[in-house]
Amino acid sequence: MTTIRRFCCNDLLRFASVNLDHLTETFNMSFYMTYLARWPDYFHVAEGPGNRIMGYIMGKVEGQGESWHGHVTAVTVAPEYRRQQLAKKLMNLLEEISDKIDKAYFVDLFVRASNTPAIKMYEKLGYVIYRRVLRYYSGEEDGLDMRKALSRDVEKKSIIPLKRPVTPDELEYD
Amino acid sequence: MASKFGLAGGIPERRVRPIWDAIDSRQFKTALKITTTLLSKHPHSPYALALKALILERMGKSDEALSVCLNAKELLCRDESLLMDDLTLSTLQIVFQRLDHLDLATSCYEHACGKFPNNLELMMGLFNCYVREYSFVKQQQTAIKMYKLVGEERFLLWAVCSIQLQVLCGNGGEKLLLLAEGLLKKHVASHSLHEPEALIVYFSILEQQEKYSDALEILTGKLGSLLMIEVDKLRIQGKLLARAGDYATAANVYQKILELCADDWEAFLHYLGCLFEDDSCWSNETINAPIHPPKFVECKLTHLTDEVFDSRISNASAFVQKLRAEASNDSLRNPYLAHLEIERRKFLFGKNNDDDLIEALLQYYSRFGHLACFTSDVEAFLQVVSPEKKMEFLDKLMKNSNSLSAVPTKALGQSITLLKTQELIGNMFRLSVGELEGSAVQMAELYRKNLPLSKELDPQESMHGEELLSIVCNVLVQLFWRTRNLGYFVEAIMVLEFGLTIRRYVWQYKILLLHLYSHFGALSLAYERYKSLDVKNILMETVSHHMLPQMLASPLWADLSNLIKDYLKFMDDHFRESADLTFLAYRHRNYSKVIEFVQFKERLQHSNQYLVARVESPILQLKQSADNIEEEESILESLKCGIDFVELSNEIGSKSLTFNEDFQSRPWWTPTKEKNYLLGPFEGISYYPKENLTKEREANVRGIVERKSLLPRMIYLSIQSASVLQKDSSEINGSLADPKISSELKTLLERYAKMLGFSLNDAVDVVVGVSHGLKSYEAFGSDIIDWLNFAVFFNAWNLNSHEFGQHGGECTPGSWHLVNSLLESYILGKVRSMEPLIQSPQGDLPILVQLVTEPLAWHGLVIQSCVRSCLPSGKKKKKSGSMDQSLSLLTHAIRDAIQSLCGILEEVAKWSQDQINSPEDNKIDILVSPLRRNGQDEGPGQVFHIFETLVSSPNETELGNRISQALRDWSPVDVARKIVSGQCTVLSEFWRICESKIKSLKTLKQQIAQV
Repeated sequence: MTTIRRFCCNDLLRFASVNLDHLTETFNMSFYMTYLARWPDYFHVAEGPGNRIMGYIMGKVEGQGESWHGHVTAVTVAPEYRRQQLAKKLMNLLEEISDKIDKAYFVDLFVRASNTPAIKMYEKLGYVIYRRVLRYYSGEEDGLDMRKALSRDVEKKSIIPLKRPVTPDELEYD
Repeated sequence: MASKFGLAGGIPERRVRPIWDAIDSRQFKTALKITTTLLSKHPHSPYALALKALILERMGKSDEALSVCLNAKELLCRDESLLMDDLTLSTLQIVFQRLDHLDLATSCYEHACGKFPNNLELMMGLFNCYVREYSFVKQQQTAIKMYKLVGEERFLLWAVCSIQLQVLCGNGGEKLLLLAEGLLKKHVASHSLHEPEALIVYFSILEQQEKYSDALEILTGKLGSLLMIEVDKLRIQGKLLARAGDYATAANVYQKILELCADDWEAFLHYLGCLFEDDSCWSNETINAPIHPPKFVECKLTHLTDEVFDSRISNASAFVQKLRAEASNDSLRNPYLAHLEIERRKFLFGKNNDDDLIEALLQYYSRFGHLACFTSDVEAFLQVVSPEKKMEFLDKLMKNSNSLSAVPTKALGQSITLLKTQELIGNMFRLSVGELEGSAVQMAELYRKNLPLSKELDPQESMHGEELLSIVCNVLVQLFWRTRNLGYFVEAIMVLEFGLTIRRYVWQYKILLLHLYSHFGALSLAYERYKSLDVKNILMETVSHHMLPQMLASPLWADLSNLIKDYLKFMDDHFRESADLTFLAYRHRNYSKVIEFVQFKERLQHSNQYLVARVESPILQLKQSADNIEEEESILESLKCGIDFVELSNEIGSKSLTFNEDFQSRPWWTPTKEKNYLLGPFEGISYYPKENLTKEREANVRGIVERKSLLPRMIYLSIQSASVLQKDSSEINGSLADPKISSELKTLLERYAKMLGFSLNDAVDVVVGVSHGLKSYEAFGSDIIDWLNFAVFFNAWNLNSHEFGQHGGECTPGSWHLVNSLLESYILGKVRSMEPLIQSPQGDLPILVQLVTEPLAWHGLVIQSCVRSCLPSGKKKKKSGSMDQSLSLLTHAIRDAIQSLCGILEEVAKWSQDQINSPEDNKIDILVSPLRRNGQDEGPGQVFHIFETLVSSPNETELGNRISQALRDWSPVDVARKIVSGQCTVLSEFWRICESKIKSLKTLKQQIAQV
């Protein structure tokens, strides 16, 4: 019931019902378009019957050496399509591309420390809390950096949790 | 020659670094200081100058920045010995771009490339300049040069994209594609291809030329392995085969896709399309195609014989059976939906009656009925069956409702689906008032009973049963529409506010509320709700239709101005930065995105909303300053006296428009911004599809833009026309441009009349007829504002023309009287018949506001202009005796006009003041007391009563702390108070506008008395 395909510019005009959700940020145009211009394989949309947007995922691949990794920037599902494991499908797709095509070591993402439902979901998908980032969200709320190791990281070194929290300036990437 | 090691633009890097650091930390003064020192050592360094220009621009000193830039450019072009590096050029480019002088940046690069023809870095800079200018041909030429120089695949693809852009977005003929194909072919032969994106562009070039088999050959050949994701490859293959007409093979390919992704609905539709040799789903999309495609799945079946249809459909059935059997989990909707689609096609082909389709729908319900997306899933299938069948389906579902799931959340989902289906098929319109009330009560009860299910949920998560309140609201609005009982309307508001008290994030409630508040005249409250939706960036293009149209006719000018400004800024910023992002796509070799970005920019540029906002923005400014002619004139001056807008009006007929608004979330009673069913009587209509009325809307928008964009110019000319009437004839025939003004204004009046459907003479007859009471205002239809504008501008023109002597003639009061009486009788007629705002949603307030702030305001400007020219001033010559007589006639007419406008405005202001001053408690009582008739089992208040009961004794153990607390916070009186104060805010603004006009008119009255 779901066609997952690359996100395209016109989808920006169709995703209002997804983005009106208060937890889904609507970024500025250059943000979306930079992702589309640089990592089109990491930006996917799920479409239902009647070409309705069910949800989408945007991400990127970056890093040096063993920290070459996929990153989930945003994943979101419209209210009427929730509780159908769509987020899982989208996440799996991004993981597969990071793993098979770009041969990354792990996938990571940031989540608000207070967003318990999301943290639980990511844990179900195999992510672990790698470290806490102090005051990551607008200098107020802490963020959690969650990771999942991919096949290239045979020993799962990338996901051994850090003992201490870090500050946003210590992050390697934005 | 380019930046050597340790050198930046020929200057040691350690000297430049501090400047960049200062710029980065926004210490522009410091940066400027260091740059000045640097320039004293390197006075002729273009790079140092470019830095200075950059800093000046950041400091807001655009003129200085431009002159420094030009200086640097001249140095660069003049002095052959100077360094010509990309750093200098790109710095200059940044400044030129920010100063809107792309052409100057381009010419710098052109010069540099001419001087150093084999420098790749400079050529890339030049290519980038052309990307910014959307000069596709020059892009192509530059890319080819680069390709020839180094033979890299990416430059070839840059050229190919540039060619494709000429065809898709420029004036390039399709023949150019042949050239692109040739280039690619040759390159593939010698170097092959290495980027999957290059291959995708190659396919699109071939596809555009309908060379499907060539593309297929490449795909199945060695190059095909560039596409690493198997499904992607199959999708391309399937599409190419289908377009080539090889449906049988294509169907097999889609079958493979479905075996890999059993849940891919689009693939299934393509699979069916191929089985039935139906190409309707492949038709090309055009740029102005609506962004939300129709839900109905097009299909052609008539070309098939019975036997062929039978055999193909049984193949499809067997395949779907297989998919279903193989599905690893039963939560996949696709195989079941596929079965529905098969039944739909059978029915459309006449193979089955609709019983089988209904049966399939029932099966789908029993499996997926609890999902929130059930109704949107089945919408397209229900569309094809007869109304009777729909009812039958509903009846069967109802019977089913006795056997709901044992899981409470699922059972709730199923019940909600039932209600939504009822809504979808329009059954709500068939129910009696009593039945509707009953159904609303039932839903509210369902909501109340199921609240405990959400006890443990995080407040961020949507609650179970949230949708119920939206449906209750819809039912109550319908009850209001039918009975005109305001109680239901208020109750609808209360239901949603209650929902927001329990969980404040539900955007669906907010949207419904903002429309209800708008309809109730509490626009400031509506705007607050709108703001809480945090509509920003691209959402402004798709969501602002909820708010903008009402605001355009409101007195909330400051808010309206912000709305328009933010929106225009977003769009203009995008147009400015879009090319840079396109270049980013070039650089990262995502060629398909290059094309997409350029097309997307065009789509936004053609946005109907953008056009309307561009026209409405100056009109708002003109409204805001209409009480002060000097201010108005300076605004007109900044608008080039409206000339550009006249041009826009001329062009609009041939411009293609795009419609990007997302109307899905609009309430049923106002499916588009042009429609509001509540304004008319209830007409037992059975079904309100949210149809896409693009055609109708397009004509409407064109009409609005065409008319409105004439306004600034007509206002300007009217002021001119009224201000020269006291010059004597020698002056008129002399250097002054009056004849031109008069004839231009006449031309515009003719056009305006034509847009209203009349010739100038006939239009004048209509307004004269109406003003003399020979015709009723009905003659103006819904274009009342435009007709009154016409009368106002006609009067202004008549002041300076001899053509319509019979209506006014030379400075005689005829046409003055015409405008005065039209405004007076229409506006006062409205005010006197208007009911108190608190009792009548969407009365005539918006039209009243428009009358006062548009035609009446423009008439006020004509008066101001006349008064100003009548006033004795040192520059004016002494008037002759005959002029004195006409002057006295005119001053008399002006005095009358001032008197008339004052009278109108005073009455309107008093009406507003009376509304504002009526006691708040009374108004609150009007809103709340009809809902508080305890114990009644008919009329409004029954749903409200359920919530009141719940609130009076919340069961904390059942509901949890958070919900119980929210319930304790619920205060309907506060909601009513907000509505009252929201209406008062609007009325106060309107009153303020009236008062300001009265004040300005009184000053004029004193001035004219001295003449």
